[in-house]
Order: sequence, then structure tokens, then C-alpha cells
Amino acid sequence: MRRSITWRLVLMFAFAALAMFTLVGAALYGVLERELTRHQNEDLNTNLQNMRYSIERFGDLEHWQRLQVKMDTLTPADGSVRFWVLSDDPRFLYGKGLDEMERVNQGEAGHGMLTLPITGRRYRTLSMRIGALADRPPVRLIVGVDTAPYEHTLRAFLIALTGLTLVAVALVMALGWWIARIGLRPLQRLSEQARALRPNTLSQRLQLESLPVELEDLTVAFNGALGRLEEAWQQLEGFNADVAHELRTPLANLIGGTQVALSRPRSASEFQDTLQSNLEELERLRSIVNDMLFLARADQGEAATGLTAADVAHEVEMTIEFFEPLLDETGTTVAIEGELRAQATMNIALFRRALSNLLQNAIAHSAAGARLVVTITPRSGAIWIAVANPGKTIAETHLPRLFDRFYRVDSSRRDAGEVHGHGLGLAIVKAVATMHGGATQATSGDGVTTIAFSIASA
Amino acid sequence: MKLLIVEDEPKTAEYLHKGLVEQGCAVDIARNGVDGQHLALVHDYDVIVLDAMLPGVDGFTLLRTLRAVKQTPVIMLTARDSIEDRVRGLQDGADDYLVKPFSFLELLARLQALQRRGRAQEPAQLKIANLQIDLIARKAWRGSERIDLSAKEFALLAVLARRQGEILSKTAIAELVWDMNFDSNTNVVEVAIKRLRAKIDNGFSPKLLHTIRGMGYVMEAREATGQDEESTS
Repeated sequence: MRRSITWRLVLMFAFAALAMFTLVGAALYGVLERELTRHQNEDLNTNLQNMRYSIERFGDLEHWQRLQVKMDTLTPADGSVRFWVLSDDPRFLYGKGLDEMERVNQGEAGHGMLTLPITGRRYRTLSMRIGALADRPPVRLIVGVDTAPYEHTLRAFLIALTGLTLVAVALVMALGWWIARIGLRPLQRLSEQARALRPNTLSQRLQLESLPVELEDLTVAFNGALGRLEEAWQQLEGFNADVAHELRTPLANLIGGTQVALSRPRSASEFQDTLQSNLEELERLRSIVNDMLFLARADQGEAATGLTAADVAHEVEMTIEFFEPLLDETGTTVAIEGELRAQATMNIALFRRALSNLLQNAIAHSAAGARLVVTITPRSGAIWIAVANPGKTIAETHLPRLFDRFYRVDSSRRDAGEVHGHGLGLAIVKAVATMHGGATQATSGDGVTTIAFSIASA
Repeated sequence: MKLLIVEDEPKTAEYLHKGLVEQGCAVDIARNGVDGQHLALVHDYDVIVLDAMLPGVDGFTLLRTLRAVKQTPVIMLTARDSIEDRVRGLQDGADDYLVKPFSFLELLARLQALQRRGRAQEPAQLKIANLQIDLIARKAWRGSERIDLSAKEFALLAVLARRQGEILSKTAIAELVWDMNFDSNTNVVEVAIKRLRAKIDNGFSPKLLHTIRGMGYVMEAREATGQDEESTS
């Protein structure tokens, strides 16, 4: 069964009420029991003192007989108070069931409990010894008070207490249910608001004003999620458009080129030309699709695998070595600066891929004979690899978006036909950084553009 | 080389068949997993090219069944580029895998690599027409003339010469020479090839380093047909 807040609250109320009533009831019961016992004991004491006085004063048989009559009178018909006198002289004995009394009550003088074997009645007793006088031997006087009425009172009290507690708990539950319903009404309002949100109106937000402060956190968090969702949605829409656009050019070239080739009889070498051109376009499509898949995997939070400990400067050197033919051709030089002993755990292929994208960009965007600088900087738990190239300053507004897919500073510029630069290079750099627990950064000013990515160090 | 291709997509099966037969391979085609399994178990192939998603019996099942009986090398083709799929394929005993869309050249290279496996030691000397390469001394001559090459240029030459007649894509060259394991999208390889060509082919005959437009490069001594695409890059 799913958990309901109302029922949880009701049960908690009930539990609290039960605990409270039980505690109070137990205390009351204790007090009552003590008071009743005290009352009984007082009763016993009065009777005992009274009788003792009468016994102590006289030692002759005549008085003893009068005393027996007095005890008979004092014993109520229902037997709720009883007297016993025990002694070695059979003339000075009093009370019913004396045989058993002798067996039962051999103990010291004072308070005790006693159950009569025949009737099964329970008595609270008080006894004392009285010294010999004249004819009378030393006797033992026992006064008993029937506990049944007291026990009855206690039982009745307990039953009433239990019953009242149960009724009270039930009432508390009913009240608690009502309170919970009222208390949870703002949640109802919140869910009505949330239900009113439509997929096509992503800019809508929950109204904070109409809700109690306790729900503010939830509402703010929910609105935040809505905001991110809206952003992601917009990005996705833009992204789909970009992909479609990006694929359109090669597809158009393929279709058009093939149609032209087939529209006239042609020589084998002309067909060969067309096929070769088609192959170039197809390779471009393949490269876009592969890069998109790579980015999608990075987006899904896939971390880099195949990690090995590597010397960062060495990997930078190896990547620069790859570019050597191109660097020689354009007279470009690359310097490596910074912390050359830095170590990092990385997927070497991914690292080289990211750095080669940066180098490729730097070479493409700087004039022949330029000097590029690769700087390795360990900074707060990460190692930053920055590639700086002299070139046209990029406006501040473009910098954070450089790492977006298909983002181009100059939106009209399309290097169609070029094998490189389908607009995913820096997005891949960012993906590689993310897969290594790092980040990216771009700065531009004074004719130098620096693009950097980081990987978590060790 | 005797090959079995298990592939249900007709166009893929067709071009693979055509391309591989032209490369001098004997190729059998199975259009579904059941036929594929039967052929793979009954005949002895040098390599089996196996699509992961097949009607009837899927590629992974077929592979497990095959591995229970024999160790024919298998290249898996998979459209799903997920690590789990690759790991699964390799765990089940595939020797290699290719993710669709893959290039035909890459498949060829992988097939040749699988066939090369366990072959005798390479020769220390290579000779193509009048180009002579000493792989140990790392020196090259054209006729009697010593050619001066940088370390990477020599590595590039050696990679091409070792696979003479085999078309190498730019990606494959970047991987073999510079250990760059990704589609690099740069024209580095083009530039490097251009410079190597200037050293080994300019002023010499016959031309040995050829560009196959859209595909890559090949080193071979061709019959003098006169249609040599000089420096297309």
C-alpha cells in the first residue's frame, strides 16, 4: 500500500494520545491503589487498637465472654471485617476457621495478607501479641479486612480508564484526520497548479505567493527544474535544427552530384570522379554521425574508461608531433610551458583527441608563422591544458557558447567542402573534459585567444 | 582468404561481397542467423564477419554456439555503439568489432590484420620497384640514391611499404604512425604524405605513392598507365 501523509499523521496522533493517556492512567491507578491501601490499613489499625484496649485491661473469663460478644457485634454480617484471637488456652480462642489460622499466621506481628481456604476470600490483616494477665494466657489478636471491595473498585477504575483511553484515542484519530486534511490543503493546491502545467507552455511556473513557507523549498526547486527543462528543450530544438542543417549540405551534394552524373552518358573516369566526390561527402556524414554519438554518450554521463596514469607534458608533445608536418608547412611554432612534470590519470586517446582539436583550431585561426603556446597548469585538484594562439579577438558574448555544438562565431561562415570544422570540435573537447571530471574555459583579448580544458588530477 | 559474411541488410551484404571478391577473397553470404550458424559450423573459414542484429539467431548467440565448437576468427559488426555491446561481443569470443557506419577500408585492414596474426617475422628489407627500405637501419634508397627522411617520415614510409597494395585511410595512417586513435579531421596526414612524396617520388620513376581520392593512400608499383594522380592533396 502506498503511504498516505494523512494516515501517517493520524497514526502518529493516535500513538501520541495513547502514550499520554496510558502514562496518566498508570499514574492515577497507582495513586488510587496507594490511597485504598492506606485506607484499609487505617481501618485495620483502628479496629486493632480498639480491641487490644479491651483485651489488655481484663484477664478473667467473664470479661472475655463479654469481649467475644463485642467482637461478634463488631463483625458485620457480610464478613468484611473479621477478628481472630489465638492462644494456647482453648478457652481464650475466637474466630472462624481457627485451625487454618494457626497454620497460616505464624509470622511476626504486623501487616499481612491472608486467603481463607474455604470461602477463598482475601483479607488484609494486622496482628499483634498481647501479654498474659490473670487467667488469660498471652494471646495473638488478628484483625482482617476483606479486600474484595477494594479490588472491585480498582478493577472498575481500570476498566473505565481503558475504555476512556480507547474512546479518547479514537477521537484524537478523528480529529487528527480532520487536522491533517486541513493542513495538507496547500499541497492539494500545489498539485492542482502542477497539473495545470502544459508541455507547450514550458515558461509557466508555480505561483509562490499562494503557498505556505514550508512548501517554498519544494516550489523553488520544482520551478528550477522547470527552468532547466525549458532550457534543455530549447537547446534540443536548436540542436535538431543544427543537425538537420549540418546534414543538409552533404546530402544535397550527394543527391545533386549523383543526379547530374546519371543524367547523361559519361565516361568511366567521370563516374569515378562523382563517386570520389560522393565518398568525401559520405565520410563527412559519417564523421558527423560518429561525433554526435560520442557526444550523446558523454551527455548520458558516461565517464572515460581505459584510464592510465600519464605524463601530461609527454602527451602534449606527442600530439604536437602529430601536427608537425602542418606546423612546418605554415611555419607555425608551438611552445610548451607551465608545470612539465604534471601527472594525470586519463584516457590517452581521448586526451589527444581533445588537444588535437584545440591545436587544429589554433593553427586554423592564426596567421602563418604564428607562435602557439600550450600551458599546463595544476589548479585546485585539476590540471588545465590551455592552448593560446594570436588571432582576432573573439567578442565576450561568444566565449561561453564556443563549446556548444555547431556554434560558430560568424554564423554566416561555413567552411563547406573542408574536411575539418563541422562545428563539433570544441563540443568534443568539452565532452572529453567532462568525462575526465574537468571543465573548459575560453578567454580572448589583446589579440590572443586562449582555449583551455581541464582533467581531474589523479 | 575464405570468408563468411553473416548480414541481413541486402545492400551491405552485396557491397561487402563485391568488394571482398575483388580483393581476391572467396566469400560466402548468409542472410540470417540460422544459415550463418549452419555455414560457420560446417565449413572452415579464415574469418567470419558477423552482424550483431540478425533475424533468427542473433549474432551473440551464433558466436557463442560457434565458440563452443571452433576458434574461427570473428569480426562483429554492430550498429549500437555502446560499451556493453562491445564488451559483450568480445567476452563472447569475438576477435574484433566494427561499429556501423564503418568504412570498407577499415574492414579490409582488420581482416588483413586478423589474417596476419601469427604469421612469420617480418623481413628486415622491403623492396618496391627500385625503392629499397632497410627497416632495421631505418634507411631508404631510390635506385642507388639515398633518401634523407626524418624519423616520422620514415615511419610513414614503413607503414605504407609494409602494406604495399593496400589502401590506407588517413585515420589508419594517423593511428599507425602517430598513435592517434580517432577521426582527426585534420589535413596533417595529407601534408605529411605530400612531403614524403616529394622526397621519394619527385624526380624518380615509377611513381609509388598514390592517392585514392576520398579513401586514402596506397604504395605500389603500378603498370605505367600514365593516369597517376600526382599531388592531389
